[in-house]
Amino acid sequence: MTDTLLQSIITGVLMGFVYALIAVGLSIIYGVMNVVNFAHGDFVMLSMYLSYMAGTLLVWDAVATPLITVPLLFLFGFITYYLLIDKTLRQLYVVQLAVTVGLQIFLRSLALIVWKAQPRALQYSIIQGNIEFFGYSILTSRLIAAVVSLIFIAAIAYFLNKTWAGAAIRAASDDLDTASLMGVNYHRTYALTFAIGAALTAIAGGLLMSFQQTDPQGGMRFGVLSWCVMALAGLGSLPGLIAAGVIVGVAEAVAVTFFDPRSRLLAIYMIFILVLWLKPRGLFGRK
Amino acid sequence: MIRVTDLYSGYGKVPILNAVSFEVSEHEMVAIIGPNGAGKSTLLKTIAGLVHPSSGKVVLEDQDVTGLPSYQIVRHGIAYVPEGGRVFPNMTVMDNLRMGAYSNRQTLKEGVLDEVFTLFPRLKERAEKFARTLSGGERQMLAIARGLVSRPKLLMLDEPSLGLAPKLVDEIYEKIRLLKESGLTVLLVEQNTTYALELADRGYVLENGRIFMEGSCAELASSDHVRKAYLGL
Repeated sequence: MTDTLLQSIITGVLMGFVYALIAVGLSIIYGVMNVVNFAHGDFVMLSMYLSYMAGTLLVWDAVATPLITVPLLFLFGFITYYLLIDKTLRQLYVVQLAVTVGLQIFLRSLALIVWKAQPRALQYSIIQGNIEFFGYSILTSRLIAAVVSLIFIAAIAYFLNKTWAGAAIRAASDDLDTASLMGVNYHRTYALTFAIGAALTAIAGGLLMSFQQTDPQGGMRFGVLSWCVMALAGLGSLPGLIAAGVIVGVAEAVAVTFFDPRSRLLAIYMIFILVLWLKPRGLFGRK
Repeated sequence: MIRVTDLYSGYGKVPILNAVSFEVSEHEMVAIIGPNGAGKSTLLKTIAGLVHPSSGKVVLEDQDVTGLPSYQIVRHGIAYVPEGGRVFPNMTVMDNLRMGAYSNRQTLKEGVLDEVFTLFPRLKERAEKFARTLSGGERQMLAIARGLVSRPKLLMLDEPSLGLAPKLVDEIYEKIRLLKESGLTVLLVEQNTTYALELADRGYVLENGRIFMEGSCAELASSDHVRKAYLGL
């Protein structure tokens, strides 16, 4: 019993870092431009399919596919911003909502048409096997996914804190008009933010494809869990996102192991509701 | 330095400025005074590019900058210090100052931060603190310092004394006086008429979106209208 519990907690913690990486993109986009990207989970799904394609066509390992999918998703985010989001910034909130929900439907339909309904997985990975850790066995691909996710979250922290573009993003998120008075072209800063948010899902997508399959409805799960992680963390704290990702990952893993494999979304959604009840500003957000 | 001609501006369909014309020469400090709601802030925001003019012209050193977005205006050398300072609360004092150099990063290499720290030593002590932890006076100083970091040709100050205790207002105005003496061109909007007229070279009285009077500060301060309406004499 304790062994199974600890085993599922370890699995959950490792997944939590990947979830945090996905939520970082969603959270930066929301924090900077006040747009909730309802298609964010579907960006992950799209990334996983693109990884699947790169993996099968080029016979690449899943974890190497971000070399292709990251630039693709960056470009996709950039174009999506200018085609869809930029036009809605000064519109009613429901218009933004309609646009990103529409994008979600579009991506799901597209995936269904291109890749059909059956799940797809990459058959082969050079990263095989398990690592023993104090008597618990950890899937090597999951460990790599967790470590790479943490590295990229750290890279985002560095980018936000140490570069001019990162400073512009932070300033625009604090006070858009004043950032503009400093010389920040917010259209460009927003486009960059959206593109980075999308590119992060490509990293996560490649990592996930090394041990999971994808299907056209897969975006639902990543959408719900990344909103949940963001709500749990509150805005403006990357360590908070990591902690929230771990909480969601563990809750999911424990629910799957001890209750029912189909209860993962339910468990995540329950946490989301609990947070809204008890701490609407999140556990780690700024006041 | 800057010449504004027949400027009309406002929000949506609500007109606020009516045919406003004025100019500021190089090394001059000009004050725009007027009651609450006269359009003083709208005037500065229109010049800074935050509000789009419906007609008129803003010319900075022979360059037409009318209606450019704010992120381009600052590149032409106009720094606008908004009402209340509007510092970036979740960035450190240092990062706020560095953002001031966003449009003109060369200045950081030229040691502009040392200059503003000499003028505002308190900011140096607080350099690593988040701007949200600063007092009202410190925020105003940070906002002015951030405006100076881009080495503007024209510094526009919007109600620098707003909401500050009298002692702090003295302190802020002492800094503005030092800036003026260093030869900076300043356009000052202020409800605190006494301070504005004491320090500026010339002034304009803005009422109901129109320039009602203009003249040297001495002339304005001795006019019956200004004495009655603004100085409470």
